[in-house]
Parts: sequence; C-alpha cells; structure tokens
Amino acid sequence: MSALEELLAHPGLWRGRGTGLPATVPTRPTGFAHLDRTLRGGWPRGQLTELIGAPFGSGETRMLLPVLATCSRERRRVMLVTPPATPWIPGWRQLGVDPEGVFVIRATSEEDIIWSCEQILRHPKTGVLLAWLQGSRSAPLRRLRLAAGSGDACAFLYRPPAVASQASPAHLRIRWQADGDRLRLEVIKFTGGPIPAGQPVVIPRDAR
Amino acid sequence: MNRPVKIPDEQRGQTPPPQSSVHPERAGLRVPPDTSLATGSGRDDPQLTLLPPVSPERNPEPVPGQPLWLAVHLPHLALDALVQTDSAPSRPLILAEDPARPRVHDANRAARQAGVRPGMALADALAVLNAPIVLDYEPEATRRHLLTLAAVLLQFTDHVCPEAGDQRILLEVGRSLRLFRGAEALEAQVGDTLRQLGYTPRIGTARTPAAARLLARLRHPARPLDRDTLRRTLAPLPLTVLPLPAADIQALHGIGLERIGDLLRLPRHDLTLRYGARLPELIDRLLGDLPEPLPRFRPPETPAFHLEFDQEVSATGALRFPLKRLLLQLEQTLRVGNHRTQELELQLLHRDRTATRLTLERSQPGSRAEEWLELWSIRLSRLELPVPVRGLRLAVPQLLPAGDDSDGLFSRGDGSRDESGFLARLRARLGDDAVLRFAPTLHPLPEGAQEACGPDAFPALPGRAATPAQRVAGAALWLRPLQPAPPPGPHDWLGRLEGGWWAGDDQRRDYAVMPDQQGRLCWVFRDLRTGQWQLQGFWG
Repeated sequence: MSALEELLAHPGLWRGRGTGLPATVPTRPTGFAHLDRTLRGGWPRGQLTELIGAPFGSGETRMLLPVLATCSRERRRVMLVTPPATPWIPGWRQLGVDPEGVFVIRATSEEDIIWSCEQILRHPKTGVLLAWLQGSRSAPLRRLRLAAGSGDACAFLYRPPAVASQASPAHLRIRWQADGDRLRLEVIKFTGGPIPAGQPVVIPRDAR
Repeated sequence: MNRPVKIPDEQRGQTPPPQSSVHPERAGLRVPPDTSLATGSGRDDPQLTLLPPVSPERNPEPVPGQPLWLAVHLPHLALDALVQTDSAPSRPLILAEDPARPRVHDANRAARQAGVRPGMALADALAVLNAPIVLDYEPEATRRHLLTLAAVLLQFTDHVCPEAGDQRILLEVGRSLRLFRGAEALEAQVGDTLRQLGYTPRIGTARTPAAARLLARLRHPARPLDRDTLRRTLAPLPLTVLPLPAADIQALHGIGLERIGDLLRLPRHDLTLRYGARLPELIDRLLGDLPEPLPRFRPPETPAFHLEFDQEVSATGALRFPLKRLLLQLEQTLRVGNHRTQELELQLLHRDRTATRLTLERSQPGSRAEEWLELWSIRLSRLELPVPVRGLRLAVPQLLPAGDDSDGLFSRGDGSRDESGFLARLRARLGDDAVLRFAPTLHPLPEGAQEACGPDAFPALPGRAATPAQRVAGAALWLRPLQPAPPPGPHDWLGRLEGGWWAGDDQRRDYAVMPDQQGRLCWVFRDLRTGQWQLQGFWG
C-alpha cells in the first residue's frame, strides 16, 4: 500500500482524474490575475513555453513585460535570441527592464540558434529567454527542454502558427491572436493537467 | 661572510665520505643518491661552525640569499617541441642536421631503441630504421623554444639566463628558496612545470653555475650547497665531463690524471704554467672561487608561442592537443608577470610559409589554459581547414595587468562579470558581433536614441528618467528601418517631437500607435514637414 502511495507521490506521474500536477512546477506571476489563475500560478520556470502565432509585433512581447521587469529587478538577464526586429531599449527601460541586462543574440543557422538557447538556459543568471524560432521542426526542442530543466529560467519560444498541430515537448503551448485592442490567448497544451476551462484568456495589449 | 670556512668533517657531524674504500661513484656516473652528499651542511656562519654540533641533523638548506644555481638542461629540446600527431608514437622519428653531411641531431624513443644515436650519419640511421619520419633540425626554432621556456621559468626567480647553444637555462634561485620551501622542492617544481609543458628537463643544483651545468648534464642527484660538498661531489667524476677541448683532456690523461679530484689536488700555479690560465679559471668557476657573471634574461613585451608538428594535420580536432600545450605555456608565462589577456591570436602555419590567422576575444581577461582551450575548441570546430597545418603560433597582442581576478563575493550580478565565460563561448561560436546590448542615449530621434555595444562595457546611463526620445515617442518595444506607411485609421497620439534643427537635420514628427489590418500594433509618425506617414517600429 505504501509503495502505491509513494508511486502516486512521484512528481512524474499524473493521474488523469486528479487535480493535475502537484504544484511542483515553479512559476513567475504573469502580471494578469486571470492569466495566473489559468496557468496555475503564472509562467512556468525551468520549462519551455511555446507562444504560437503571427504576425510579429501584435503585443506578444509586451504581454511578457511584467515578467521581464521582475527578472530585471532580480538582476537576472533577459536574453533575446534572433528577434525579427531591434529592441528599442528606451521603451524597454521605461517599462522597468534594465538595458544592461538585455542581450540580443544573432545567429543564422537553426543549429546555432538551438545551441545558443541551450547555453543560455543552462546559465544561472538567465531570467528569461525569448527565442524566435522560424523552423517548423519540433525535434530540436527536446534538447531545449533538457537545458531548461537544468536552470530555472522562463523559456518562451515564439513559433509560427503552422506548428500548432504538431506534437511538441514543450510544457505549455499557447496560441495567441490579436483581437482589436486585446490579445487572445488559447492554451492548447498544458502538461500535467487538462486544458484549463475559461478559454480563451483575453488580456489588454496596449499597456502604456 | 659568504666564503665558506673549511673545517674537518668530524666537526660537522657528518659521516666522512668513504674516501679510503672504493667510492661508489667511481663505478659510474649514474649513481643512486648519496645522502652524505645530498644533505651536505650549508651553514657558513663561522661562529656556529666553531661550536660542536648540537645534533647530527643539520639544516640541509643554504642560508637563503646565498647564490644557488639551477641548471636546466634540455637535451631533447627540439624533439620535445615537436608535436607527435601520431597517436601511437611507435614510428621512428629523426631530426637531421647539417645538410652538407647529414647527421642525426636527435631521435625519438622508437628510433633510439633501433640503435640510432645523436651524431650518427643519417645514412646509417636510415639503414636500421623502418619507414622513419625525417625532419630538419632548425636551430632558430629551437632557440625560440628555449627563450619561451626561459620566460616560463621567470616565475621561480628574476635571474634567468638561457644558453641557447647548449639547450640549457640557468636560474639563480638563492633568494627564492624560502618562497619555494627549499632547494629540493624548488627543483621538483621546476621539473614538474617543464614536464607539464611536454619537455624532459635534466636539472642540476649547485652553488656555482659551472657545477650546476655539469651536474645537470650528468643527471647527478647531489645538491652541493657549500664549497666542501661541491669539491667532494666533483672529485670522483672523470675529467671527460669538463667543458674542455678534447686535446686538453688528452693532455691531462697523458700526465696520469683521470678524475676531477686529481686535478683539484694539483697546485694552481703549476697548472697555469703548464696549460695557461684557462684550466685554473675553470676550476675556480666550478668551485665558486671566481665569480661567473651571467646576463639576465628579459622576456619579450608580447609573448608568442610556437609548436611544429611531425606531420601535417588536416582535421581541426587534431589541433586541440598541441593548442593545449601552447595555452599551458601561455598560462605559465602570464603567471610570471601576473598578467592576463583578453585577446589571443592563433596562426595555423602551412607548408608554403603562409598562415591562417584567427583571433579570439573574450569579455573578461583571463589566463587559465582550460578556459581559453574551451573557447578555441568551439572556434576551431567550426573551421574548415583550407590547407593542412604543420604548426601553430599563438600570440598575445596585449598583456593586461591581473587586477582583481576573482569573481568576488561582492560583484554585481549585472552581466558586467562573465563568471563562466558563457558570453565568450557564444561569441566564439557565433562571431564577435553576434552578442549585443543596447544603451539608451540622449539623442532626440528614436532611431538614434540607442547605441549597440558588446557584452563587455556598458556606458553609464543618463539618469533614471526617460530619455528625450522616449518622452515624446512612447514606450515602443521594437525598432525597424524607416519605411513609408499608409495614412492610418483610428490611432492614439503619443506626442510631438521637434528636434535636430541644431544639427541641420530638422525633424518635426507626431507619433502614434496604430493597429494595422494584420493585427500588428504599428509605431508610426507623421512628418509634419511633408505630411508623410512613416513606420518606425512596433509597439508590441
């Protein structure tokens, strides 16, 4: 009997009808109360989060500003891997992100991008990784998941809409879409529990 | 004060050397350590020596500060400096010199086992060997290696004197003894340092350079620290070990002298009359009665390190091991001056005297070979070798003072310190300009309101307040090259920018955020002079 209880307490085991994962995945608050509720506390740390959608510039970076500012206050780095445009640092600074801790990594080949992300995720000073992955292959993400697990950074991977139907090793997958002055978020995979109710979550996308 | 006082051995509390019986060293030159010699007393204070010894155990070390010489003889210097690219060093290798009448300069173990000896005619050596590698001995390259090692050995003393012709380096270590805990420990440390770099030193220690040279060549284990022990150590050695012309040795043999001791017993005056001043001078130098001033070696301002391979290498993986040797030399050399470096230049030398030049810069200066090797491995693994490589040259463009090398307890966790070389690794693989940060500036136009900078230095920021551009143009997140935009539909005004007129670039803009049809939040402005709309970037 005790063996069974031990087994049930194992964090890697999920019981379908239960309440989901015992709250072992640490999170960072998203800055939006209703989003925190849906995400069982906030953005997962030490795990991959896929943000699937297009086009770039719809507010999908701005919605992460609260968590970026938190990391900046903790003096941890914000690493941007191959962003499609140059960050305009005065704006980031105004929103509470310290420019000194924001790094932009430029790489061209997929192999270099994945390698850089791995290095970044394994580094203890990394607070948040934002990586724009153009490739549609999900296989390299397995390496990233391992790397993410060795640190406690929030790893956000921006991916094109076409990958939504593919399998992925990411812990959390969210499809986003602009909708007027708001951003509509739909959780399409959430490891360790059913897809949360109350979808989609809508957050304002023009936080000044 | 420094002149030793001769006293009978009985008073010194030592076993007298077994002069009546057959001395073990007479049988041959390579003798096991003779404790009565190796632990010879070094006290030269006459007041102390007049007293009966308190205990038979005397301090075997000389008084620190008294001159003591270490001779480091590198008989296989040219061979050691060659990198054996073959994983199995069973293939015989010969270094040949003197192209007119080719002779063997040195041979590796496999060749020596087959009977090849230095000095042999090359034709004879080739006759006994199976498919040997034959390389030319290059005296100039060997001299360079010796000077590199001399720079490394400067960590033990400030008086180092390389003798390139004899493949030998002399070190005056009398003042270093206390720091390195005695002559024996120092000698061991010098040996370990050189062996770690891939060399096979023979080290002799004595109170005079001449005697140290002799003992090093003979691999004599004694460390004669005063004149008496030195005399006793030298006495049983055959005359042939003295650095004298063969004719002189022959002449001395002719009058019945066999050992150095025989020579020492002869009156100096008669020797001078018979052989001129050279022989007594040599004896005086050996025993320390005549000082032998030696120049001091000055290391080059910017050190460089070379290695040649025995065969050409065409895979970058094979460069790792030789590079590690170079980086270890670098680390040891930088340690001497307490230096670090932020940049290294590596040349891959090719057969036709051309070179591929690579540079590697990291964000934090450092000297550790391990760290540099990791960075170079990343860089080299991405390199296609255009032509085979037959040697490496590593140069330090600029030496930096060590300063505060420790990633201190109080260092700010802000990226100004790169504790594990993480950013350097990224740059090594992706390129120097692939890791960027942006610093806000006071420029009034958004497109000029930030400047790119590397991960190393970050300018002090102009206060905590919003910069001028940000005040009027809002907190947009992304910047793009300017491009004309269609007149917007509904939009939110951000502010008006007027500036640049003092620089002849008058700009008047009204900024706004406007969602476009695809859902993007565009960051746009209307140029008040032309009425044109421009897309500056994205809000979100």
